[in-house]
Amino acid sequence: MSEENKKYWKSLDGLNNSTDLPGKNHKEFPDSVTDGFNVESINGLSRRKFLGLLSVSTAIAATACSDYHDQKEIIPYTNRPEGVLPGKPNYYASTCNGCQEACGILIKTREGRPIKVDGNDEHPINKGKICATGQSSIYNLYDPSRLQNPLKGTSKTNWATADSEIIAKLDSVSKLGKKIVVLTNSINSPTERKMLDEFKQRFATTEVHAFDLFNNCNKKFGWFKSYGNADVPSIKWDKANVILSLEGDFLGKEGNFIENTRLFSSKRDFSNVKNFNRLYVVEAGLSLTGSNSDYRMRLKPEAQYDFVMALLNEVISKGASNIVIDSMVKNKLSKFSLDKIAKSNGLDSIKVNYLVEDLINNKGKSIVYASDSLSGDVQIAVNLLNEVLGNTDLYNYESAYVNTGKQLHFPQIEELIKSFNNGEVGAVIHYDVNPSFHFPKSLKYNEALKKVGFVISLVDSPNESTVNDNYTLPINHNFESWGDAHSRKNVYSLRQPVIAPLFNTRQREAILLTWILGSPKVYNESLYHDYLMESCRETIYSKKKLSVDFISFWNSALHDGFVNIESDGNSRKPFNISEIKIADSPKENSGFSVLLAKDYFIGDGRFANNGWLQEIPHPISKVAWDNYAAIAPSSASEMNLKNGDIVNVTVGDNSVKIPVLLQPGVAQNTLVIELGYGRTVISDVGKEVGKNANNLLNIKNLNSRWICSNASVENTGENYKLVSTQEHHSLDEEFVKDLHLKRGIIREANLDKYAKNPKFATEEDIELVSITSEHGQVGPKWAMSIDMNKCTSCSVCVASCNVENNIPVVGKDQVAVGREMHWMRIDRYYSGSSEDPIVSNQPMLCQHCDNAPCENVCPVNATNHSPDGLNQMVYNRCVGTRYCGNNCPYKVRRFNFFNFRDHFEDGFYLNEVSPLVHNPEVTVRSRGVMEKCTFCVQKISEEREDAIREGRQIKGDNVVPACQQSCPADAIVFGDANDPESKISQYRKHELGYGVLQTLNVKPNVTYLAKLRNTHSEDI
Amino acid sequence: MKKTILDYTLKVRIPLIVFVIIASFMTTYFVSRQERDGVGNQPVQPIKYSHKLHAGTMGIDCQYCHVGVTKGRQALVPSVNICMNCHTVARKDRPEIIKLKEYYDSSKALPWKRVHKVPEYAYFNHSVHVNVGIDCESCHGNVREMEEIKQVKAFNMSACIACHKNTKDFVPYVENIKQGPLHCAACHR
Repeated sequence: MSEENKKYWKSLDGLNNSTDLPGKNHKEFPDSVTDGFNVESINGLSRRKFLGLLSVSTAIAATACSDYHDQKEIIPYTNRPEGVLPGKPNYYASTCNGCQEACGILIKTREGRPIKVDGNDEHPINKGKICATGQSSIYNLYDPSRLQNPLKGTSKTNWATADSEIIAKLDSVSKLGKKIVVLTNSINSPTERKMLDEFKQRFATTEVHAFDLFNNCNKKFGWFKSYGNADVPSIKWDKANVILSLEGDFLGKEGNFIENTRLFSSKRDFSNVKNFNRLYVVEAGLSLTGSNSDYRMRLKPEAQYDFVMALLNEVISKGASNIVIDSMVKNKLSKFSLDKIAKSNGLDSIKVNYLVEDLINNKGKSIVYASDSLSGDVQIAVNLLNEVLGNTDLYNYESAYVNTGKQLHFPQIEELIKSFNNGEVGAVIHYDVNPSFHFPKSLKYNEALKKVGFVISLVDSPNESTVNDNYTLPINHNFESWGDAHSRKNVYSLRQPVIAPLFNTRQREAILLTWILGSPKVYNESLYHDYLMESCRETIYSKKKLSVDFISFWNSALHDGFVNIESDGNSRKPFNISEIKIADSPKENSGFSVLLAKDYFIGDGRFANNGWLQEIPHPISKVAWDNYAAIAPSSASEMNLKNGDIVNVTVGDNSVKIPVLLQPGVAQNTLVIELGYGRTVISDVGKEVGKNANNLLNIKNLNSRWICSNASVENTGENYKLVSTQEHHSLDEEFVKDLHLKRGIIREANLDKYAKNPKFATEEDIELVSITSEHGQVGPKWAMSIDMNKCTSCSVCVASCNVENNIPVVGKDQVAVGREMHWMRIDRYYSGSSEDPIVSNQPMLCQHCDNAPCENVCPVNATNHSPDGLNQMVYNRCVGTRYCGNNCPYKVRRFNFFNFRDHFEDGFYLNEVSPLVHNPEVTVRSRGVMEKCTFCVQKISEEREDAIREGRQIKGDNVVPACQQSCPADAIVFGDANDPESKISQYRKHELGYGVLQTLNVKPNVTYLAKLRNTHSEDI
Repeated sequence: MKKTILDYTLKVRIPLIVFVIIASFMTTYFVSRQERDGVGNQPVQPIKYSHKLHAGTMGIDCQYCHVGVTKGRQALVPSVNICMNCHTVARKDRPEIIKLKEYYDSSKALPWKRVHKVPEYAYFNHSVHVNVGIDCESCHGNVREMEEIKQVKAFNMSACIACHKNTKDFVPYVENIKQGPLHCAACHR
């Protein structure tokens, strides 16, 4: 070897011949390498021994296999209850208590456990449909974090001890003359109200106060001032040709929006285009109703008053008034010039002119609706506007909302808290409420609670208000309780338990009833049942004057779930014009406004621990697992804000840090924040999801606590990750702008264009030739159609599908990487400008293509075609290559990256109780398999079974998939495309019917019926 | 070259081991086939109930006890009160009937051992089979002759498919029987 050979070196130390290097002193490793490695502490079992043991145990196991596999037991009933056949579902009519609307529900139970909730078909208000929250409320029944035993302080106690101690304490408090304060939500049950009255009699110093985070008090106030009573009528949306909604999300969250959606959509029937309604929405945030409007204008919430006044002025000055308006009012109104107000608020004058024209031309057949969040003055003005336009026939007095009584307002709450502090109150009972979360921190409710000394909470799980409790008492879920509800004048609904209490809980009414009766011994399971029956006999049965006896009446009422009752003749009253307050001049609105809105799914925070509800994407922004401050892109760019930037919103003394979302369509200088998020004392699912913005509730504004003016917004420089199931793509980029329109994913036109060219939706489609042969087709061919005219994107179908098909909850981190498991999603597309976009929605699910691209690429034939036109997915064959998901043009296939039940929050839903929610007719998928919409094949099998039993052919119309069953707008139709009589076969042939991405020749079996917009111009 | 232990291992030991493994696997596979399919499974039941006596000698119809068989997926094991329809009077003194009465009176769960089992991922439906006229014997064998219930046919996918393919050969007694469905979603969801 020559010295000239190249020298290779590994490091500079090596090059410099450092002596510290390992190997230099004939040591392979540096000295310290075995530090902390003690041979003595190693297990004595050597590798050789371990392998030996392993092989021996395998051998033993192999020989042990010589017996038959134990097939476990079959345990029959001792006495099979009449009407219960294992394997067959039973349905029980009951009443939902997710909100104040008391929709009639039908609970499906299997072997005694509830597995699905749907609307009660015969219920006159909600007619077989319920909202996403109602659908998902079943998960709250099986929530493992429910409080399972009564607690004294933080330690477990039993009911008898708790009852007797509480009764003694309440007695002593009332003897001392100190107040007992019962805080409730507003109560729509007449029997419960009666029971609370008896409680007041039993404990003489009791005060009962109701508080709802969101309520219709402003509307009630406005109605009272206008007509002298607080029975706000519902609205016959199906009779309205023109609808103007001021900030009112009547299709998304206000009133009974399920009923509203049904009535509204009935006027969007493409087979009767002459009868289409026209929806104008004037609002600050982009709401679900706004996204369905024909014309939408952006207006700050404070400016609504001026806008209504200007409309009144315009309509009256055009001489179009239906009632006589005296000249003084006219004079005052004349200061509100519509042109000026439209100009100063940046409203499009063309749209405003259309609106005025339409309102005047459709007198008596239009309706103006103001949001519950707008002040009483606006409500009165809207009532007057409806009077002026002669629209009062559209009020449904027969089915008016029942007044559930007074509610606490912030001045009274401040008084109440003062009385806590100065020792007037001896006991506080939280009756299924959470004031510590709902009241702004500045009221210092929790500090005041400490001064009371005796606090009892009746709750389903511990919450922010139970922290200072002396007693925390667990209450039954709705499905474990008796009860009644009277929320609309013409219907009295009954609630019945469908399962015995899962835990050591009692229904809230029975707990108070036990205290009223004064002894823990009086409690038994039928305590409240008997009380309810008696109350029903007195208040309902006695008035009906029926020939049947009470027990028969009661049984049939329970069977039906409701009783129709005569309205008490509360009809039209004259409008009291003297109550209208007309300001001297329009107001200037500068500065930031904040509008606090109700969340679409989790209510006031009550459902925050329901993973299904947290995971349904927001209907507009598609953000899941968070709330945010929605801000107009232009306002954001002025402040240099990007998506997810955390801002500090300050109103008066209160401030909240919350991430912003650039939401096209929000009014300038306005933030829209949804409440109910940011719970802190709650179990794993809902803990610290989103930000608590209840602090911003405007306790000073007596007109509306949800609207704050002159907010200051500053960028904190921090950023937060919001996750959305639909990428927010920039609308300004030429490439993606209107992509969905260019590719024909969304096809829409206005009514004029449709009249001129009825085939607009399909004219550009060309007949394509397939290189493969058609599938052999025998018997029925399953197909679906979705009517985009009716669909409002309310997401009830998504919730219903989740429950029916055992869809797991995956959590925010997984949604962020696109692993949500929903079989059905609602795509949202924007078109037009980024400030004032037009929204198009589209439910998307497996299209069960005839030429399905997924089928060709599966290496193990796990997805293939059935002779009845289904794209089948066989979990047992699937090896998880995900080729199918990759090849699916609709992106509707979902892969189980984990066993999500195990993965989500360390197996939160993997416990003894939660799996009881699963539908036993559908496989619970495990890790590593692909899944997707099956067209509810279990329901198809059920129909096949029925058809064979009855000896007839399968009838496609009898198969109702979960999404169709729950769609409040009846937008989804499913059935047998080979049956010429069926609705679906006609819809498939309809000129408006098109297939999404038809150009790929995949031959989808979901037909979308193109949306028709009732606008004046052909450009949408 | 000297033979090393490695050569011995490679040439003799490993092939021998592989042969023994394969041979024992094959033997076990074929010998235990019936067993793995559950054919011949006859667990000990909590009460010595005789199908031969009830269904055979006395000729009680299967559906008197298995009430679900025409109505839904499960045929159902009878609830104890069905047994008690007769046994409140009949043969009250026999030890097995006394046992039965104890279960009934105490409302204790009566844990019948399951004999026939289709895996959970297959949604077998009794009613669709029985309602087209296929009799119980075609799958369950001649139960009327069984002193104690026993599985006689394999309940695996190849058995299902065999009959669904050649339906006429398996149930020749049913007039105008159509071939059973063969697509995946007929049984798996």
